[in-house]
Amino acid sequence: MADCFRITYNAENSYDYPVTAATWQFLILPLENESQHHLKFEFSNSLGAYWELSHSGFGFRTIRVRSKGPVSRISFTAEISLIKEVVNPFAFNPEMVPPFNGPELKLQDFRLTFARYIRPTHLTTLPPGSAALYSWDQGEGYLEKLQALNTWVYEYLYYTPGVTDVDTSLEEVLGLNKGVCQDFAHLFIALARNKGIPARYVSGYLHQGKGYFGDAQMHAWAEAWVPGIGWIGFDPTNNILAASNHIKVAHGRDYDDCAPLKGIVFGEGENTSQHAVAVQSQQ
Amino acid sequence: MAKKQKGIFSKYDRNPKLFDELYDQQGEVNDVYKKLFKLYGQHSIEDYAELNGRAKASFFNQGITFRVYSDEKTNEKIFPFDLFPRIIGADEWAELERGVVQRCKALNAFLWDLYHEQNILKDGVVPMELVGSSENFLEQMVGFDPPGGIYNHISGTDLIRHTDGKFYVLEDNIRCPSGVSYVLSNRTALKRALFGVFNHYNAHTVTNYAENLLDLLETVKPAGVDKPNTVVLTPGMYNSAFYEHSYLAKTMGVELVEGRDLYVENDFVYMKTIHGRERVDIIYRRIDDQFLDPLEFRKDSTLGVPGLFAAYRKGNVTLANAPGTGVADDKAVYTYMPEIIQYYFGEEAILHNVPTYHCSRKEELEYVLDNIAELVIKPVDEAGGYGISIGNTLSPEEIEEVRNTVRAHPRKYVAQPIMSLSVHPTYIEETQSFEQRHVDLRSFALMGSDREFVLKGGLTRVALRRGNLIVNSSQGGGSKDTWVLKKSKKNAG
Repeated sequence: MADCFRITYNAENSYDYPVTAATWQFLILPLENESQHHLKFEFSNSLGAYWELSHSGFGFRTIRVRSKGPVSRISFTAEISLIKEVVNPFAFNPEMVPPFNGPELKLQDFRLTFARYIRPTHLTTLPPGSAALYSWDQGEGYLEKLQALNTWVYEYLYYTPGVTDVDTSLEEVLGLNKGVCQDFAHLFIALARNKGIPARYVSGYLHQGKGYFGDAQMHAWAEAWVPGIGWIGFDPTNNILAASNHIKVAHGRDYDDCAPLKGIVFGEGENTSQHAVAVQSQQ
Repeated sequence: MAKKQKGIFSKYDRNPKLFDELYDQQGEVNDVYKKLFKLYGQHSIEDYAELNGRAKASFFNQGITFRVYSDEKTNEKIFPFDLFPRIIGADEWAELERGVVQRCKALNAFLWDLYHEQNILKDGVVPMELVGSSENFLEQMVGFDPPGGIYNHISGTDLIRHTDGKFYVLEDNIRCPSGVSYVLSNRTALKRALFGVFNHYNAHTVTNYAENLLDLLETVKPAGVDKPNTVVLTPGMYNSAFYEHSYLAKTMGVELVEGRDLYVENDFVYMKTIHGRERVDIIYRRIDDQFLDPLEFRKDSTLGVPGLFAAYRKGNVTLANAPGTGVADDKAVYTYMPEIIQYYFGEEAILHNVPTYHCSRKEELEYVLDNIAELVIKPVDEAGGYGISIGNTLSPEEIEEVRNTVRAHPRKYVAQPIMSLSVHPTYIEETQSFEQRHVDLRSFALMGSDREFVLKGGLTRVALRRGNLIVNSSQGGGSKDTWVLKKSKKNAG
């Protein structure tokens, strides 16, 4: 079983004063792995500026655009068609999962292997005292415990666009009790890491089907390492496990490793950047 | 003890508690200095003052300056140079050189391990927390094989001689160690002022540094490149070491570039020239990791090149030193160097380490907090002598202040006993005489895929203020030409 998706990504950047020697990098291409295969990929920009494919420092596919002349406004469009295998997150042998609070997470080799995803980053640092916000008393095994955490984050924060941005710390997010998908993901990750469970930030696209909102922007969720199973995707913004409708682009320690668009420009003044994403199922 | 000297040394006041490089334990002039001492003795202090003035003019004319960063303003200063050279005998140097090479190789092995299997952490020889909490550990380097397997192509090892007469390593610098250009200009200035004296000695040249640097960099060229194109990447003329960047580019015969002179296309690096673009294969970069590539590291960096790191990871360009070396020259890692050398090579460390207390360890923190007056407190991640407190120079209030700072951020500090740096006769303008001043020695080592090179010389830095132990130029230090003697009967004294 497989689904076919067509993703359209649009971005438009405008600058108060024309900028020169600009470089833009997009981390928006769906990852190609066992369950995701590209069928078609097209990219263009309104100025016909030179572009090429490259990789981020962690090996994810990037698109890099470079302009020589001055730029006041530039728009970019990517269209990707891909096949996604239907994923059943429950397809594992529960006997392989060790009991929660066993020694697994404390083993030195484990902590070394996953150090990158256990250590807090500036975006996933819990403010003092806030680890106690979540008690971990719901659920039995690792998966159930993490599902309960997923639900808790979903209920604790109110999905509110416009009150936070990509640099907002968890201290601010917890003060507001509001945020968008990256804030939900960061909070889930911070609490999981605090328990010693490796957790990583995932950026990608969400297809919610007809009548749902939420696919007008790129999405973010989290993956946690469940001993005995492996990386499992949790989407605390929607209180679901990441499955067939979650199209993954990249993962990293936090948002900064996965920023969909980075622009390096020389010039003064303010700039604005607008994005629009559409995910259509082509079945 | 010290005999009263005539001539320019008549007023030399020798404190017997300090190790004076000029004299042996019996108060006799050391063999290596005898000839120099005799030659200097034939002149008056007035002659010397005049020579000193000429040497200063030479530095000014060569444009050898550096910048001091402070809160108020940024000043460009002439690097103070002292005409009395530091002389190191052949045998003593040979031992130092072996020790420096051993250390650089061990640091390289350590870096390879940290960015690959991490066996040294798994075996508990170096605590994982030490590396895990280091801001200089570059996740993007994990699993990457740098060309030739080399991380620290260029290393600067800071050594001191304690009152026991032994050399100790004070710190390893394997990010962008600076100072080598001063070694070369000191030699030029000294030869101009005192050729007659220099000519009586059989000292190793230091002018072969640049050719060795270029040679060794070329051993780690990207695969498939025949004649590599090397450049020096500088943050620009406002950097404190800009003089050195331009000097090295000039003496290697390569281009000196800023980030904006380069661009990346299809994961290859190109330099813009008036003849069109030129591919760049090796970059001796003198900008810090975090500024290399704004797409990968600090977004606000205007010094780097967008896409540079991707080109590096693709193997299309070599960066020297490799990104991520800062995790190994951390002052906390320093304290494990004897264990690190033992772990990788099964050898004893040839050079001594200064004993160090880790404030991150509870028992050691307690000791440090109780004994600040007898210790030097250093931040683990600051270079250039910034943020150092020397216990016996602090007032009770200042000690309390340091105690609170350390207690608040124990991981950020280490402490060491106050080492008494050796002293060396140094001409002091204000008193128009020679006085004892503390000195250290920075050695410069290069590592390529098939050989190593240690510059036979080094930067002897002088703390020009009486009693001051901090020799960094940013803290008002000067320097001396450093002669390493060739092994020959003529110099055996």
